[in-house]
Amino acid sequence: MEIFIIFLSAILVNNFVLSRFLGICPFLGVSKKVETAIGMGVAVTFVMTLASFITYIVYHWMLVPLRITYLYTIAFILVIAALVQFVEMVIQKTSPTLYQALGVYLPLITTNCAVLGVAVINMNEGYNLIKSVINGFGAALGFTLAIVLFAGIRERMEHNNILNAFKGFPIALITAGLMSIAFLGFQGLL
Amino acid sequence: MKEILKLGLILFIITAVSGGLLGFAYEITKEPIAEQVRLANEEAMVKSFPQGEKFKKIEAEIPEDSNVVEIHAVYKGNVLEGFVVKVLSKGFGGPIEMTVGVSKDGMVQGVSILGHSETPGLGAKAQEDDFLSRYQGKSGILTVVKTGASKDNEIEAISGATITSKAVTDGINEVLDFIENHLDADNF
Amino acid sequence: MKTIAERIKNGVLVENPTFVQVIGMCPTLAVTTAAKNGIGMGLATTAVLIGSNVFISLLRKFIPSKIRIPAYIVIIASFVTLVEFLMQGFVPALYKQLGLFIPLIVVNCIILARAEAYASKNDILTSLFDGLGMGLGFTLALTVIGSVREILGAGQWFGIQIMPSSYQPAIIMILAPGAFFTLGILMAILNYIRNRNTKKA
Repeated sequence: MEIFIIFLSAILVNNFVLSRFLGICPFLGVSKKVETAIGMGVAVTFVMTLASFITYIVYHWMLVPLRITYLYTIAFILVIAALVQFVEMVIQKTSPTLYQALGVYLPLITTNCAVLGVAVINMNEGYNLIKSVINGFGAALGFTLAIVLFAGIRERMEHNNILNAFKGFPIALITAGLMSIAFLGFQGLL
Repeated sequence: MKEILKLGLILFIITAVSGGLLGFAYEITKEPIAEQVRLANEEAMVKSFPQGEKFKKIEAEIPEDSNVVEIHAVYKGNVLEGFVVKVLSKGFGGPIEMTVGVSKDGMVQGVSILGHSETPGLGAKAQEDDFLSRYQGKSGILTVVKTGASKDNEIEAISGATITSKAVTDGINEVLDFIENHLDADNF
Repeated sequence: MKTIAERIKNGVLVENPTFVQVIGMCPTLAVTTAAKNGIGMGLATTAVLIGSNVFISLLRKFIPSKIRIPAYIVIIASFVTLVEFLMQGFVPALYKQLGLFIPLIVVNCIILARAEAYASKNDILTSLFDGLGMGLGFTLALTVIGSVREILGAGQWFGIQIMPSSYQPAIIMILAPGAFFTLGILMAILNYIRNRNTKKA
């Protein structure tokens, strides 16, 4: 039950993008088309779930026994950077089609604060291994949901007549704000 | 191959030097950080139990699922007056760390918020005396109401921050319950 | 001397990281619930920026280009950890308020972008002032956004009541949506001014 609550709250209630403000850069940057948004979402989901798993292991099996937990920032970011590189290599070798679809997004993920963010949140909340992975997966699905919905709205806006001053980022931000209001509604869910 | 080794070595040197320097910095800042924590705790305890003269940390069995962190017995002279209990409660933005002072007969003497990540201007108002004083002299099981507390055990929520108000109240209820059921005043 | 002034002006105005480059959006939106938090986050980021810029510039001939990104990340993460220690020791309340977003300074794209685009190609002194200028530009942006949200959302500025008590605070401004609205509208205003100026010229 608790696991289900963590999962649901990671997707909807504490949506990473719209209520925690993690992963805003790709959210604004690669959301012009639904197709690319889905690609980014899949890549992020993959990396975030894996990163939750590995950072848990690194934290509890390396940093804690060595009593250097204060080095967690360096350790996590190195793990994430290496993981992204590794995933990129594996996908490139095993599935060229998938690589073509995701390849461009992978390097961007290292500096996606949602990935480091979920690792730090797992650590702060004291989640165990299963909860960490579920939280990572849920948060990533929440990210995907937000970015795909957002891209859908932006695709339609292409044809709208928008005030000159609002073109580009301003109207995107206002749209995100309206979506965020909608997601505030989930607050009452739990 | 040789190049990879060289690159790896350089990266290793950079990481090792950074790690070493940070270890050094950690040692230097450890004391001031501990001192800050000690001062903040002391201040919170005095605020939670203004009549107390001496605070002594006591060991007690804390149930597994409890959010209680630390218990201090409060003395005036040599007489036990009550307890100050540090507890964590889940707020809107994250955990709220607070201390609650409770007299021997189970009345809240004072509450102090040590740390929180609630929204400034809303939930963050919970740390102001204006709100915290609402708990003074309360006992039993407290409930949060949105407007106009009429009963003795009712607390009026901060407007727009019901979740935070509930979180603070939950923490206090937990402390009251803990003292009632898990601490025996005769032992201290 | 001329380059120093030019670097600072560049960071604060010409290439302002928030309003012009639109990078480092996560902390910009997340911590600006109050002006004080905006300044705190801005200054913490500035400290990391100056430190990492100076060190990366110092080591620019030593770091091979193939591993430069991981090397930069390690240097940046070290400074972030250092700032974390200092804030924990000396401003614990602010540290707790900013919480998660302190370790996340590591992935603030502003810092890596400056390392890659400037510090790795320029000498120590100008890199230092480049970091200072960018940091100040970021701090300025965060403080402005924080001020707008705090004044409209809580009727206060730096924790002091400035709106008349009859003003009913628009709570939405300090909740998540308010962050998006404030930044969106501020950017639209800047666009408007810019458009008008180019028309005149």
